[in-house]
Amino acid sequence: MSHFHRRHFLAQQAFGLGGLAFASLLNDDGLLAAPPKPVLQQKPFDLEQRQPPRLPQATAMISMFMQGGPSQMDLCDPKPELKKRHLQTFDGEIHFDNTVQKSRKLFAGPWKFRKHGQCGMDFSELLPHHGEIADEICLVRSMQTGISGHETGISAMNTGRQRRGRPVLGSWLVYALGSENRNLPAYMVLRDPDSLPVLGAENWQNTWLPSACAGTVVHAHEPRIANLQPPPSLRGTNQQRILAYLQRLNRRHLEKHPGESELAARMQSYTLAASMQIEAREALDISGESQQTQKLYGIDDPVTRDFGTRCLIARRLVERGVRFVHVLSGDQDWDHHGGIVRSLPNSCRQVDKPASALVLDLKQRGLLDTTIVHWGGEIGRLPVIQNEANIGRDHNGVGFSMWLAGGGIKAGHIHGATDELGHRAVEDIVHHYDYHATLFHLFGLEIDEVTFQRPVGNTTLTDGQPGQVVAGILQNPPADDRS
Amino acid sequence: MRNHWTIFCAAVVVLGTVGTTWGAEPESLAFERDVRPILKAHCWQCHGEETELKGGLDTRLARFLKKGGESGAAIVPGRHGGSLLYERVASGEMPPGPKRLSPKDIAVIARWIDSGARTLRPEPQSVPRDGSFTAEEKAHWAFQPIKRSSPPRVVRSLSVRSPIDAFLLAKLESQGLGFGPAADRHTLIRRLTFDLHGLPPTPEAVSQFLADENENAYDRLVERLLASPAYGERWARHWLDVAGYADSDGVNKIDRVRSWAWKYRDYVIRSLNANKPWDEFLVEQIAGDELLRPPYTDLTPAQSQLLIATGFLRMAPDGTEGSVPEPDVARNQVIAEVIKVASTSLLGLSVGCAQCHSHRYDPITHTDYYRMRAVFEPAYDWKNWRGPGGRLVSQWTRETRERAAEVDREVARLKKMHTVELDAAADKVIEERVIQKLPEALREKARVARKTPEDKRTEEQKALIEKHPFLKIKGIWLQEIDGAPKAVIDKKWQPIIDAVAAKRPPRDLLMCLSEIPGKVPKTFLFARGDFKQPRDEVAPGELGILNADGIEIPSNNPDLPTTGRRLAWARHLTTGRHPLVGRVLVNRFWMHHFGTGLVATPSDFGFQGEPPSHPKLLDWLASEFMTSGWDLKHLHRLILTSAAYRQTAKRREDLEAVDPDNRLLGRWSVRRLETEAVRDSLLALSGQLSTRMHGSPSPVSLDSVGQRVIISTNQYDPSGRLLRNVKALGEEMVRRTIYVQVRRSMPLGVLVPFDPPLMRPNCERRTTSTDSTQSLMMLNDPFVVAQVGGLATRVAREAGEDPGARFRHAWQLVYGRPPGAEEVRVGLEFLAVQESAVRKETPNHDSPDTVALGHLCHALVCSSSFLYVD
Repeated sequence: MSHFHRRHFLAQQAFGLGGLAFASLLNDDGLLAAPPKPVLQQKPFDLEQRQPPRLPQATAMISMFMQGGPSQMDLCDPKPELKKRHLQTFDGEIHFDNTVQKSRKLFAGPWKFRKHGQCGMDFSELLPHHGEIADEICLVRSMQTGISGHETGISAMNTGRQRRGRPVLGSWLVYALGSENRNLPAYMVLRDPDSLPVLGAENWQNTWLPSACAGTVVHAHEPRIANLQPPPSLRGTNQQRILAYLQRLNRRHLEKHPGESELAARMQSYTLAASMQIEAREALDISGESQQTQKLYGIDDPVTRDFGTRCLIARRLVERGVRFVHVLSGDQDWDHHGGIVRSLPNSCRQVDKPASALVLDLKQRGLLDTTIVHWGGEIGRLPVIQNEANIGRDHNGVGFSMWLAGGGIKAGHIHGATDELGHRAVEDIVHHYDYHATLFHLFGLEIDEVTFQRPVGNTTLTDGQPGQVVAGILQNPPADDRS
Repeated sequence: MRNHWTIFCAAVVVLGTVGTTWGAEPESLAFERDVRPILKAHCWQCHGEETELKGGLDTRLARFLKKGGESGAAIVPGRHGGSLLYERVASGEMPPGPKRLSPKDIAVIARWIDSGARTLRPEPQSVPRDGSFTAEEKAHWAFQPIKRSSPPRVVRSLSVRSPIDAFLLAKLESQGLGFGPAADRHTLIRRLTFDLHGLPPTPEAVSQFLADENENAYDRLVERLLASPAYGERWARHWLDVAGYADSDGVNKIDRVRSWAWKYRDYVIRSLNANKPWDEFLVEQIAGDELLRPPYTDLTPAQSQLLIATGFLRMAPDGTEGSVPEPDVARNQVIAEVIKVASTSLLGLSVGCAQCHSHRYDPITHTDYYRMRAVFEPAYDWKNWRGPGGRLVSQWTRETRERAAEVDREVARLKKMHTVELDAAADKVIEERVIQKLPEALREKARVARKTPEDKRTEEQKALIEKHPFLKIKGIWLQEIDGAPKAVIDKKWQPIIDAVAAKRPPRDLLMCLSEIPGKVPKTFLFARGDFKQPRDEVAPGELGILNADGIEIPSNNPDLPTTGRRLAWARHLTTGRHPLVGRVLVNRFWMHHFGTGLVATPSDFGFQGEPPSHPKLLDWLASEFMTSGWDLKHLHRLILTSAAYRQTAKRREDLEAVDPDNRLLGRWSVRRLETEAVRDSLLALSGQLSTRMHGSPSPVSLDSVGQRVIISTNQYDPSGRLLRNVKALGEEMVRRTIYVQVRRSMPLGVLVPFDPPLMRPNCERRTTSTDSTQSLMMLNDPFVVAQVGGLATRVAREAGEDPGARFRHAWQLVYGRPPGAEEVRVGLEFLAVQESAVRKETPNHDSPDTVALGHLCHALVCSSSFLYVD
């Protein structure tokens, strides 16, 4: 295995000594505002785990993305005033996306709310299992992106900006921190069996970040990862010996090219591929999970089986050191423009139990302390009716809810509030970039300092927007040192 | 700690620049050079460029800063502490919003104020509205005329094979270095063949080169390679990256297929193989339509090619077809993307940044952007828009059209006969089944009513038919009452009709950019890039910074049926005197040969880009290229026959200490195969690669698990149910990658892991990654496994039974050189072990030796010696 030592040595040289040399160059560069120099020759990027500058509270994240926009006033943001003014006309300022079916009649859903847990967090009867995790999660009721489209909303929540074509949150975290487990991809995406959310593969794109930062898609049915299974003729020891011979060839080639770090990285990528064939298959196989666990996630019920399986796989991946797991809903699953009284309960039934199970399971295994769990969509919905003939709700980018748990997030807490009708976030507003800044903070990072240099200049996730760490949702709010 | 982190992250990506210093710190700070760029990037938009100055402060001249605005003087020379400018930026109050000046920039401002707020020279009385350029901006290297200097004298003059070597050596020698040794012939032929063809050398080509004892053997090899049509297929790909080639419109989910884009791809391949002079090549691509007279009908093949060439300006994503939610946004977006493609590819400048306000770093004004837009506006008139479909032009000649019309007439005639026969059969059936069953008295009435045309029927007849609706049935509906007679008649007529219809000439359209004669739309500067805020009218023109000579592009050339704007612009770009075009082109050619351009940022020759590592060489090459008649093959020869190109890839300690990134080219840089080369080479090794050139692309679609895009026309629903099955595609599956359909939303699965070009909207430079999905693909992908199987079969067929002969042949095919003794020993050992393992696992296997040979081939194609070019 001497080549791996060598590889390690090279890596240290590249990122350690060379980095320091460069650092001192920067410092000694005087004060002249020379424009940043572009990349001349791209060094192979490496997912070697990197320690963040501050002690991290979170080391992994699972984001359950509910694309379409869950209806906050029907699920977790009860509004007595809305009930009182049910079917009365709303005369305030409001932005409709659908101007044809718009109506100004207020609409209160028919679902009953109840307070749960010691903290008294409200959930409607559509999310009965969420009651069990009320004391574990932090419900943010004051999300605001200011944008009410799906594409733009997804881009804002996932890439920091409403325009398309930027790297996603998961890619940035993997870029900054590398990965604990070198036998699995650092960022994995568990997609819905039927469809992809709006923006499709853009939901896990690395764009200009190194390609190792892209999400690796795990399909909802076998084969879950492309090319993970050798063809029958190569299974078992046959391929192992091929790999051994291959590494011998590669080592000899590297010996002829001393100092070519990319060739060493190439050898390492075969090693990862070989271990992934075993480890990824094992990680994605839930058959060894106990009956009790499977039941907790609702895998015994056809309604919750798919989402439950994916939540369970998400836990298994985080358990094995995967940095970021994205559990995606299908195309517009939560976009209830019409027939909301029937369709919203359907959407809830599929995810309520598995999502709660994920939090409970992580907690009982001691993983919740270091794993941030996120549940939410890209927009919320309006308190007024869309389409009086078949009642639904239109998009709302000025107020919506999501919840977070674990990894340094304050448990059993409700943050922020919308106005009396659940329309607009009015108290402790959290913008998408504040959300991002807070996540980075929990990972021990400063969001403006994780930069990637491009010919156009340094890039960051927030892209210069004033992201503030939301102290109110942290278990350990930072002392005020942001001078 | 915080500081450390930033630097660490930066270091990960910018390591390449260590040890390269491009300028020393000047003695003292001056406004023009040091402060103005900061203010331009952060302040000018509100305090200078907008019609109304915020707070009455203009920050474009030092004089204005001293004068100040509503709050008083912005600077007090000598005292940064009392200067409002400093206070506002240091406190973070300015600029408003999240963006702040870096501590470095703030310190520069402070030091400049403290040192007396000096300027290099007296400032002008006022800032002209359209931005005047500073001496620093005007002096930027890329905007200077191309100056040809003689190759410098060097000490190691014996190493010089081409003038290029002299330029490179001069710089190496200044560091006390020289070229490395020349690589051996095996290495050189593999390097050259991948460089010029994107394929591995065949054993025959290798033997021919090795056996050539002529002292010009190398030059003759270069000539053979340049003469092969595979050259055009390889080098077209480079230009298609820059043009942003795709076979679909992109933008939205539908990602509509561009059925005729491939003609542009073929035009590029043919032009390169014919070594068409690049001035001509560019003029055709920018304004081929303006070289013809509309209407574009009855086109000769040569005329068609001129229109197809303008496909270059039609490659940008275009979401304007069909029903579009915001058509004006979509249209203006197309124009913006076209400008990005044109400016990055031809000018090496990101002109697109000036769409909303003047460029933050480069001297490209807001007006400049709209001057450039005006060049394209007559062809992209957003108020009289033509979608992608509406821009297609038919290649049918008058004869073809007549032939089609004739076929149409004949088909109509046959259809009529078919119908008549069906109607007669229907009459018979209705008579027997319906009329005969009516009461006697009604029968004749029913016959008459049925025969009477619908609009002439009396009330009584109508009532009768309503009561007995079967009376309505005519021939084409006959199966409603009895399918048998209709089936017989259809079976007789349908083949006859089909046979005639098949003679109709196939659709033959082309994609092009064109203007509508007589329509000359006005171009306006859009405030903040918003088309809803048009301001002053703008005339077409060259960027101001490049236009010291006052070159004019006519708004409407009276001698042409079109406006002539693009033609004038194209001719201006190709006069040989344009400072950017020649440099940008040769720099890209250089990059494709050596891996990195002399300017490392091939599409940014501006202030944010990298200055050239060898400015004199760049100019010499540009000049040589243009004076040789824009002859690319001439340039190839110059580069390929240089000593620099022939060096080994070996890193040397002396070189490493000075130039680890090989910017000085004291050696060859090891490079990984591009994704197309990986796929094409595997096909070539298995012997499957089709040599069929040109034509419509091999179609792609999703496989049955909706997971990989493969070459196929099968279609599945998201759960994997087959919706439409089409027969196996045969040769389509094994054509060179350049002939595989480029669906923006569906990149071919086997291309994805190895970094295909990312078109946004074009790809100026590819990235190279190393990750496990590549390895998983090489180990397990069905395509790779199939090609490895093909390679093993081929080796067994060509080398016979002997394991040693098989091993040598496989090695030779994959690596282009023979194995050494130790390599043979280890390889044969591996073959023996694998064979006995196969025997043990499957005792009845009829050819365990071939299986083992397959395993050997698999390891060889996975290895670095195959995936990299030395």
